[in-house]
Amino acid sequence: MKCNTSMRVVRISDDVWEIPVTEKSGMLVPARIYGTESILRAMDTGVFEQVTNVACLPGIRRYALCMPDGHWGYGFPIGGVAAFDVRSGIISPGGVGYDVNCGMRLIRTDLTLEEVQPKLELLMTELFRRVPAGVGASGFVSMDRPSFDRVMTQGARWCIEQGYGWHRDLERMEQGGCLSGADPDKVSDHAVTRGRNQLGTLGSGNHYLEVQVVSNDRMFAPEVAAAFGITGNDQIVIMVHCGSRGFGHQVASDYLKVFEKAMPRYGITVKDQQLACAPFLSEEGQDYFAAMNCAANTAFANRQVITHQIREAFAAVFGRSGEELGMELVYDVAHNIAKVERYSEGELVVHRKGATRALGPGSPDLPACYRSVGQPVICGGSMETGSYLLVGTQRATDDTFGSTMHGSGRTMSRTQAKKSIRGEQLQQQMKQRGILVKAVSMSGLAEEAGFAYKNISEVVESVERAGITKKVAELRPIGNIKG
Amino acid sequence: MPASFLFLDDVALADLAFDAEGDSVPEVFEAASNAVMEAMADPKTVGATWERCVEHVAADLAELLFDWLSDFVYWKDAAGVVFSRASISLIQAGGQWTLAGTLIGEPVNQATQMLRNDVKGVTKHLYRLRQDNGRWRVRVVLDV
Repeated sequence: MKCNTSMRVVRISDDVWEIPVTEKSGMLVPARIYGTESILRAMDTGVFEQVTNVACLPGIRRYALCMPDGHWGYGFPIGGVAAFDVRSGIISPGGVGYDVNCGMRLIRTDLTLEEVQPKLELLMTELFRRVPAGVGASGFVSMDRPSFDRVMTQGARWCIEQGYGWHRDLERMEQGGCLSGADPDKVSDHAVTRGRNQLGTLGSGNHYLEVQVVSNDRMFAPEVAAAFGITGNDQIVIMVHCGSRGFGHQVASDYLKVFEKAMPRYGITVKDQQLACAPFLSEEGQDYFAAMNCAANTAFANRQVITHQIREAFAAVFGRSGEELGMELVYDVAHNIAKVERYSEGELVVHRKGATRALGPGSPDLPACYRSVGQPVICGGSMETGSYLLVGTQRATDDTFGSTMHGSGRTMSRTQAKKSIRGEQLQQQMKQRGILVKAVSMSGLAEEAGFAYKNISEVVESVERAGITKKVAELRPIGNIKG
Repeated sequence: MPASFLFLDDVALADLAFDAEGDSVPEVFEAASNAVMEAMADPKTVGATWERCVEHVAADLAELLFDWLSDFVYWKDAAGVVFSRASISLIQAGGQWTLAGTLIGEPVNQATQMLRNDVKGVTKHLYRLRQDNGRWRVRVVLDV
């Protein structure tokens, strides 16, 4: 098997590949990479190095995993999943990512393409006005320190109490939009200062707000889709991709420094400085977990405030309230997180970095409305090629600690993408193809061109064949807002 | 040779990497500062109505530069500004380096500034400050 590593890669199935423990000194478990042969061949060297580095971390169980949208990241690869024993294992900011609880949210509507198309320009202008994006953008929610402390501990629930959303939204979020164990005392003043004014903002990079269409010919599991409120017939949905912004990044940076100093005390050595970690049950490990939960809750709140603004924008343009337009939340799911979950090995600290939880039917952690079908999995593609709604499976619980892909994954650097196309040119090309883009930064727009990403359909087919998620519907973009 | 920086094509796919270099420690610090400012916004389009002085002390030059570059990210979020220029002075005494720096810029204005990436942080991935052949060089990956 020829790929970008000198390590031996063994075929387990057409979509699962394994690097045995003998391939790197210190590996405690094998590394498993999901993807077709062509996806695997195209993966950068960093994926192979990093997933095998993760396999060396103390207390890791079963496998170090990488999903087919994987690529190089800091410490862990993007697309990385690893589970560590609660008692003997570690927790690592490198396994969560700097943007703690970066995640996806999908909102359905009763509107159709026919109704929205004539007002699309107006709608995108209104969304662009109400949802701040780009460098240094601040949100409309004014926040003092006590209020921000409540955001950190209550997550999306705080927003609902302030009137930014509906109580039933909370049922359709991972963990109800609030992780327990958040402790604001474990968060630095630096992080709070960075984050306090950013609630309700998108950020930049690969974060976006997208108006999408679901057509009948791209529905793959209509019964499951119906349970999610997705009916097809050129139905309009809205996807949001963002996280905890500067706040989460500061939490990660602060604790990387703490862990770098703590590791010698615990006798931990790592193959890469960005894998700095501490035993989960140590004081440092618990402090980071409490601070990370604060950042995760802030991200849930961020996406909730954005949802409120989206509903307001639609209401202003279509002259009906969000409720009258059927703008129910389909789901909100994290793809950068560490959580304690129970599997056959017992309680594990599951790290997902650029990977999505994918619970199958019957899971008690699912809201009643989805328990018979499984968890919605929202996967964002590039702004040119579309996205997917998938559903979790029991196989994911059995094979991948209940995890699957999160997006399409980059294949080209930002700098290279910018050299290949100008933002204005890309914006014009997309308009001709029926996708209206509003962007704060034209160079930032060029960095997100579709050719800089993997083919999401191949990535999705791969996880479906591996059995860890099933396709529900493809979501085609018609409007996009970027920072 | 003058101090300079170069954004890299083939490093850190999802983020932004650059090499900076100069003939002296202050020059490489200046070049790296310019790269971080350029990553956020075109400094030529940013005014000078906001100013902040910062100071760092460290025994290790690489840590000192890391903390200084992180200041740009912090103040970008904390004060909602982007930067037009920065200046530093470096003093070495008693095994410690002291950096006194000034950040200059103005509040973010989408109408007048050419904004680029919302840099979320400076990372330690591939981070290395070194001197070879008399030239100071550093590689930095910014998380965007």
